[in-house]
Amino acid sequence: MSKDRTVWNVARGLLAVTFLSAMLGCSTESKTADTAPGAASAPSVKKIPAGQEFSGFLKNYEQLKPNEALGGNALTYAGTEARKNLRSYFAIVVDPIEVYVATDTDASKVDEDARATLSNYFHHALLEAVSDAFPPVDKPGPLTLRLRAALVGVDVGGQVAAGDAPPDATPLKQAMNIGKVQVEMELVDSMTGERIAAMVDRSNLGAGAEVGAKDFTRVEKFAAAREAFDEWASRVREFLDSAHELTGADAERADKSYQPYQ
Amino acid sequence: MRRLLSIVCIFLLICVTCLGAEEVTTFHAYIDSDLCARLMLGPITQSRIECSLKTYKEGSNAVVVSLTDNTVFSVNKEKLLKENVGKIAAVTGEAKVKSGTMKLQSVMPQEINDIPQGDPARKLLDVRNYQVKGSAEIHEKVRHELAMIPYITEFDFISFTLVEDTVILTGWTVRATNRSDAAYRAKKVPGVRQVINNIEELPLGGTDMEIRANVRAKLQRVLSQYFWSNGSDIKIIVKNGNIILLGTVISQPDSDAASIQAKTVPLAFHVFNLLRVVPPAKKDKG
Repeated sequence: MSKDRTVWNVARGLLAVTFLSAMLGCSTESKTADTAPGAASAPSVKKIPAGQEFSGFLKNYEQLKPNEALGGNALTYAGTEARKNLRSYFAIVVDPIEVYVATDTDASKVDEDARATLSNYFHHALLEAVSDAFPPVDKPGPLTLRLRAALVGVDVGGQVAAGDAPPDATPLKQAMNIGKVQVEMELVDSMTGERIAAMVDRSNLGAGAEVGAKDFTRVEKFAAAREAFDEWASRVREFLDSAHELTGADAERADKSYQPYQ
Repeated sequence: MRRLLSIVCIFLLICVTCLGAEEVTTFHAYIDSDLCARLMLGPITQSRIECSLKTYKEGSNAVVVSLTDNTVFSVNKEKLLKENVGKIAAVTGEAKVKSGTMKLQSVMPQEINDIPQGDPARKLLDVRNYQVKGSAEIHEKVRHELAMIPYITEFDFISFTLVEDTVILTGWTVRATNRSDAAYRAKKVPGVRQVINNIEELPLGGTDMEIRANVRAKLQRVLSQYFWSNGSDIKIIVKNGNIILLGTVISQPDSDAASIQAKTVPLAFHVFNLLRVVPPAKKDKG
């Protein structure tokens, strides 16, 4: 009897540990998804003004120049002023991603779920792409950049058919077409708001791609959209990498300056 | 029913044990301070021992350095190391090489003679292994590769030593990419067979971030000649409120000025000034 009770107690203990571990695991996972800075409170849909090349999301576009290293489809700017350039910062806060629909899009067909789906996934993709070089933090502070970004030119896609997504993938009311999307991005000093770098990526990576479910990354039909978002994010990282590359006199001085301790 | 439950429980217990447990190992180690372990790689000389004792006393954490391969382990029970800093010991515990952490179980003080002749741990005690002729070219290539890491800033310092064909990387960085990039670059140098990565990724910490920004601002103001737009000769490592100054300056007054400035930064606990003073080479009159 007492042996059974001991076994029962051990079992209860183990179940409790297992349950707690599972809860801890779940809470950690949901924390990652929900507390990504700003991910839950993304702003509403905006529209590209008629006849404009850019959305107006960035404060100015004059500083941007074609970047051949990124294939010529990207316009970039990286400040070179001493102590106010990309190398002066190393942590990052990524703002919620704004979504701008194309000028002729019926904005009433873009519901909150659709906008949040695009916004949240690109937010996640950007964090994935930059976080080992710019560790993410949850609030502005010294040595911290704020990354603002927008998906510009989103259009309404086709109806989402019943079989387009598995039952647990929560289909959207209306698919979103990202075929003509471009990305506008800006890095500013998180405390002063001063611009440090910016980029407009006009690469047509989303051609033919639609997003038709909230958790679309698990659905094969929408794989092209996920790849496009990941690629845009990876090009942002490429831009940051190229801006950090040591060249000319800087490379010479860094080489001369560095001696290991022994 | 109870029997079934018992079987399930035993099964679960075995699974949990298998999944959770790390292998317990015992190895010969040198008990060092975190600071010296990451800077003074190499033989356990008198100056290394002095460094360990001094910096530990000043507040640097005690760590375990494996004599077999020089891997540095931060430990959970630092108290066990307290009496053994600057000494050789046999340490037992669960060591995780990838993260550089160890759950200590016991620490037994040892003498060098307790390590058998021919034991791999002996190799790293022998000063001759650090003066291998013919490796100067590899050393220079590794040094150059590490100097060119693009994301290195004034808040990172990576050092290394070359033991035969093994590169032991060490130091501190605020970016994960620097840690992996350093290992990748060292590994691709022809002639390097193995890379041991002891580079510690520093937690950002709100207070540490403020300290970093403040120290940099103060040093840039007073010692601006050591800072340029994309780098610096002076490195500022901040860990849990402690400031470590590294790099090179050309005079003792500059080194002292750096210390004085760093000490005025609010919220900082201690300043370890390890700046090297290297006067500029005199030019030949001819």
